[in-house]
Amino acid sequence: MPLAVEMRHIRKYFLSSNVLACDDVNFSVREGEIHALVGENGAGKTTLMNILYGLIAPDEGEILIHERPAHITHPNDAIRLGIGMVHQHFKLVPSFTIAENIMLGMEPDEWGFINGASEAEAVRKLAADFGLPVNPNARVRDLSVGMQQRVEILKALQRNARVLILDEPTAVLTPQEVHELYTVIRKLAADGRTVILITHKLLEVKDVADRVSVMRRGQMIGTHNVSDVSIRDMANMMVGREVILQVEKQPAQPGAVVLKVENLLVAGAGGIPAVFGVSLEVRAGEILGIAGVSGNGQTELIEAIAGLRPIDGGHVVLLDKDITHASVRARRETGMAHIPEDRLVMGLNLNTNLDENVVVTHYMRPPYSRRGIFNFLPMRKLAQQIIDAFQIRSARVGEEIKTLSGGNLQKVVLGRELEGKPKFIIANQPTRGLDVGSIEFVHKTLIEERDAGAAILLVSVELDEILSLSDRIAVMFGGRIMGVLDIKDANEQDIGILMAGGSLEHAPAKVATP
Amino acid sequence: MTAKRLRQALESAAIPILATILGLLVSSVIVLFARADPMQTYEHLFCEGFGPKGCQTFGNLLFMDVKTDNGTQTVFSLFYGAQGHALGVTLERATILILAALSATVAFKAGLFSIGMDGQLVLGAITAAFLGYALPDLIYGLAGISQPQAAPGALQTVMHLVVPALCIGAAMLVGAFYSWIAGYLKVKLNVNELISTIVLNAIAVQLVGYLINFPLRSDFNNIARTRRIDDTAWLVPFNRGLFLNSEWFSGSRVGIGIILALLAALVIWFFLWRTTAGYEQRMASGSRLFARFGGIPNERAALRAMLISGALSGLAGAIQILGVERRVVDGFAGAGLGFDGVLVAILAKESIGGILVVAVFFAGLQQGAINLQFANLPRQLGGIIIALIILFSSMENFFRTNLARIQARLRPPQRAVDAAAEGVAAAGGGAT
Repeated sequence: MPLAVEMRHIRKYFLSSNVLACDDVNFSVREGEIHALVGENGAGKTTLMNILYGLIAPDEGEILIHERPAHITHPNDAIRLGIGMVHQHFKLVPSFTIAENIMLGMEPDEWGFINGASEAEAVRKLAADFGLPVNPNARVRDLSVGMQQRVEILKALQRNARVLILDEPTAVLTPQEVHELYTVIRKLAADGRTVILITHKLLEVKDVADRVSVMRRGQMIGTHNVSDVSIRDMANMMVGREVILQVEKQPAQPGAVVLKVENLLVAGAGGIPAVFGVSLEVRAGEILGIAGVSGNGQTELIEAIAGLRPIDGGHVVLLDKDITHASVRARRETGMAHIPEDRLVMGLNLNTNLDENVVVTHYMRPPYSRRGIFNFLPMRKLAQQIIDAFQIRSARVGEEIKTLSGGNLQKVVLGRELEGKPKFIIANQPTRGLDVGSIEFVHKTLIEERDAGAAILLVSVELDEILSLSDRIAVMFGGRIMGVLDIKDANEQDIGILMAGGSLEHAPAKVATP
Repeated sequence: MTAKRLRQALESAAIPILATILGLLVSSVIVLFARADPMQTYEHLFCEGFGPKGCQTFGNLLFMDVKTDNGTQTVFSLFYGAQGHALGVTLERATILILAALSATVAFKAGLFSIGMDGQLVLGAITAAFLGYALPDLIYGLAGISQPQAAPGALQTVMHLVVPALCIGAAMLVGAFYSWIAGYLKVKLNVNELISTIVLNAIAVQLVGYLINFPLRSDFNNIARTRRIDDTAWLVPFNRGLFLNSEWFSGSRVGIGIILALLAALVIWFFLWRTTAGYEQRMASGSRLFARFGGIPNERAALRAMLISGALSGLAGAIQILGVERRVVDGFAGAGLGFDGVLVAILAKESIGGILVVAVFFAGLQQGAINLQFANLPRQLGGIIIALIILFSSMENFFRTNLARIQARLRPPQRAVDAAAEGVAAAGGGAT
């Protein structure tokens, strides 16, 4: 079968970060196949694809497109050669319509004026040709994430993409949207187009890809037929050692109620209500998972419980103490720990060193400070203790944390938050953007905390994570809890229905009241 | 790691020097346009800012030949102060710059871009100027002394200690209050501190201008001015007191003020880097969300930073009056002394040590620029040269990337590959 893309001996060294992102990488994709490119964070897969798309210039190596040598120095070159890329973070103009976004830069122009009607017509025809229906006149800001992705794909197709690169396409989708995307991808492949799928979700590779290439630390480890390798094989190739995929845990032994939330009302951005009367309970020694597509009030709910967002109604009771309007410090002193959604902005201060980051929750107490003046020795000791306990190998006491990898940064957050055995832990997207090895570590740590008697409130948009960690699952949609399922009764399909705002009327017994 | 630190330190030192050289090179075009010799102009500029009397060339900034009774002798310029050293005047100018820059730095290090130094400074100055004569008047009045010269020596001594302290304290309070207004507006009503401090500056400048011209005008001098402060409120300059016999300080009014400024620098450094209060405001500045998330009382830290910042500006104004000018003359409140401090803080990248160096350098350039006119050069030339040097100094990133590029070119390629491999190993070690 002819090759659609062939990349030979690609080498890319980043001077600024002193990283060899691609080390003599060979990569080839056949025409009409769905090719998955997998690897941990920082393995070099996105760099490789950015080179193919002309966003990054390689130091060495050559690229062949449809078996002809190609010089790609700018995305325009790539587009001309029929390569399209859908980035992880969509590059759409929210205030423009779908048609305007798709035709951006190639508007049918009449004497310098844009004809909106012919634009819309062209997009309607395009959408019909590929069986991807869209409303050309809808504004992108009103679209769901899945729909925005469809617009991105159409945008690439409008530019005659024969090779379509999708960077982590499922990270933001509901299970149903993921299945729709798979259908689209298969249809494109059947049509003779080539799809390159960058991902680190191995289940996804099994579901949809024909072949898979694994990268690790800038090197191409190998390319295999998906049917020939198991998920475990792929994971081991990615990490370079044996990985425990399944979270090992005993059934929970819930104790007393630690956190009680009653009829919580919280306003979101712009004062629009985001949480409508949510009630829930978390007991000692259990993990309550909150599933849901992002943007359904989880962030607001967590921020309200953590004291970062004012509460408009209802109560939050932590360890029999009403903390509805308490300060963050008072909450933390009551026994709350918080692993935040955004570790780069909220969880850590990247402008300062490790020591100052690990004391943010303890700095005002002895031994770290006395009468307002710091005592550095205990601070350094705590930092070293966290480095040792969490094996943060590249971190050093007193040094900047800016250069640490995502996994190591999350370990710093974990180390600080779990210091002093908190009774209640909020874990919001604790593994977002982490690689397999780090995910394994975070999961293990959370289970250990649970077994040690902590109550854990877990929020994640990764359904797999919710299913493998939680003891009970609450599904959120539109600011409400749609149902709470015991892990024994939970399955992906039911949760998917609840996540999309449906109800489980056919099996009401499964839905326990919160 | 030490090699890396050393390289960074060298780089940090190389950048301002490069910037100055480039600034002077580009200025040369304008100097030539003004029909002057660039080299001579710059030698004059630097000699008048940093050299001893009689300094003629760049070399004289370091060593100078001096005629003595026994013939010619080579001296180390820094300590040669017969008939006065230009650094004395430069330090007099630097005092106020250091304090205003510290003021800006405290605010910046709380994530607040307050540039209200100017307003706080002039209000502090007018407070000190008023109390500088009103307070002694009051004391003499209470003591029933009609002729200050006839006051008992003991009372004079006590007043020499107490009156300046009270004047400075009051000026700091006024400055702190004025800065607090902007802080309060920011914290409670989310009013942008940049805008509010600009507006507050304008109000303060106009108010002080009015006070000098009307209620506090002392005489019919054609430039309005306040009454001179009493001798007991005066922070006596070094050359009139402490170093009475030293010629080095002659011609300059540098005095206790520079010592207070250095003390303030030390205190502020300790506050920012060694106290929990300083930690709180630095964390709030690094990432406001992070500070809130960690339970740091952000609002309190912001208000505290504004209060300290204002007090420092007030102190700057008080020292300028009590130690240097002894009265407020019309035009003082429009001179933009506070803005120069903001500039120094930005150029020093908010580092306390950097402020001390930059403030002296900046003050010397200003001093040299003013004196260009005595060498029959246009006065405006000095301003242009300073501006160009500052412009190049602010192009730090440009220098840094180019230095890195030059370094990369000098390094043999093989070593670069090895370093890259190490980098990957280190990054990989981090990932697992």
